[in-house]
Amino acid sequence: MSEFKICLIGFGAVGQGVAKAINMKKQSIQEKYGKKLKIVAVSDSSSSAITEEGLNEELLLKTKSKFGKLNKYPEYGSDICGEDVLDSVDYDCLIEVTPTNIENGEPAKSLTLKAFKSKKDVVTSNKGHLALFYKEMIKEANLNNVQFKFEASVGGAMPIINFADETLPSSKIKSIVGILNGTTNYILSRMTSEGSSYLNTLEESQQLGIAETDPTQDVEGIDAACKTVILANSLLKIDATYEDVEVVGISKITSESIDLAKKEGYLIKLIAEVSLDSLKVSPRLVKKNSPYAVEGTLNMATLKTDLADEVTVVGKGAGSLETASAILTDLINVIRTK
Amino acid sequence: MRMNLVLELLDIPGQLVSVLEPIGGLGANLVTVIHQRDLKNEKGMIPVQITLEGEQENLNLVIEKLNEMGITILELDGVVRKERLSTILIGHVIDTDIKDTMDKINELKGVSVVDLEVKLAEELESSAMIVVEADFGKKSFVFDKIQEIANKKDLLVVNEV
Ligand SMILES: NC(=O)c1ccc[n+]([C@@H]2O[C@H](COP(=O)([O-])OP(=O)(O)OC[C@H]3O[C@@H](n4cnc5c(N)ncnc54)[C@H](OP(=O)(O)O)[C@@H]3O)[C@@H](O)[C@H]2O)c1
Repeated sequence: MSEFKICLIGFGAVGQGVAKAINMKKQSIQEKYGKKLKIVAVSDSSSSAITEEGLNEELLLKTKSKFGKLNKYPEYGSDICGEDVLDSVDYDCLIEVTPTNIENGEPAKSLTLKAFKSKKDVVTSNKGHLALFYKEMIKEANLNNVQFKFEASVGGAMPIINFADETLPSSKIKSIVGILNGTTNYILSRMTSEGSSYLNTLEESQQLGIAETDPTQDVEGIDAACKTVILANSLLKIDATYEDVEVVGISKITSESIDLAKKEGYLIKLIAEVSLDSLKVSPRLVKKNSPYAVEGTLNMATLKTDLADEVTVVGKGAGSLETASAILTDLINVIRTK
Repeated sequence: MRMNLVLELLDIPGQLVSVLEPIGGLGANLVTVIHQRDLKNEKGMIPVQITLEGEQENLNLVIEKLNEMGITILELDGVVRKERLSTILIGHVIDTDIKDTMDKINELKGVSVVDLEVKLAEELESSAMIVVEADFGKKSFVFDKIQEIANKKDLLVVNEV
């Protein structure tokens, strides 16, 4: 029985979800694919736990929740962090789940390129480096003959990139129109059902932990724009970066406008549009009973294709275990090729 | 019985044949075809006028078939087909001269405002729901133009998907 060694960088909501998911699924993965999954390194922003022997997922989660850091992990905790983690242990695949940075894509970009150079496959949920340097990242992965997978970066658990590539390879995708941000969909859904103002609803979402303390990335459409770029490049082969997306957020949407829309049988949604003619994120009117009428934090996307006509996918766009599910799927797809 | 149709087709060889082929089997005969190449739009589509002859039920089948094939029928027996399009403007809708906004939309060829509802808000930023009727197939043209008009007045536009 061969082993498959994982290095996990970033141990926040998604990183911890990955540890949980691996803990839940490693037995069945071993039975099905003949590989024993082993997490050999985990790091957060300032510390890590590293051992060739393999770390215990439950102990990792306990250590992080108790101390907020990983250096107190029994025996194998340390202050090693950043790229040094990649040099301190032998691994097969990097799971990179650090925060999205759309200024310069770091630390994801450097970590990923370093892994590529060492001929390691990389799975990520990060959007920053992809939205800014998609072409370069893919080129480097190809040059080094490694796999680079990022299903989780768009729509969390909602299948879309692998779905289009592997389930619909017969059809050419002409456009994608969808709701790619759960936080704004939640805010707009609540404004619709409660008749509440934007600011009150935003505050409520922050209290519930659905919107972040600084909600800019979500409400101004930046997060959805990053995903738009990733879909444009990966599924429509449009050579675009973040700059090319026309972005309007939801912060100016009033409860009055939602009321007016309702009267005519419409809802207001933050819609991302990906096609050769347009890369755009903006609030739009959608029909009440259309596939776009998903509620709460759900994400959806309608793919318009040449053979299959329209195909719509729906799923949870965020969440610790939900996002980890997409990462684990990518990981399994990597394992299958080994 | 005769029926005149104006279809919107891609101006590439073979496009017309692929549309006419299934029609042949439906018991309608093609009388004339006129390509209106000078009216090519930005998507490379041109209006193609065709005249068919056949029994009413066969002609109905043709319409059904064209709809099924996703072909846009711009005109049927000289009547331009219309579609309703909705949009919402948010901002200083009144202060930026709502009448002028409506006039500018009504000036667009084949477009007329059929419904307008304004809601004033306490925060001064009001919202207006505008419903227009436009010639079939003009959706993106109409929305682009409304966006242009709104940009000049610093209004947020929420167009139909
Ligand atoms: N949350 C979701 O549902 C979701 C869904 C899809 C995609 N994503 C993407 O997944 C990624 C992770 O999201 P998240 O929600 O897990 O974020 P998070 O909870 O903020 O966690 C980020 C983790 O990265 C660590 N980190 C920060 N800077 C680092 C550095 N320079 N080197 C190594 N580690 C560093 C943090 O360390 P500390 O623990 O020390 O702060 C933390 O453990 C983001 O790119 C996000 O866009 C998230």
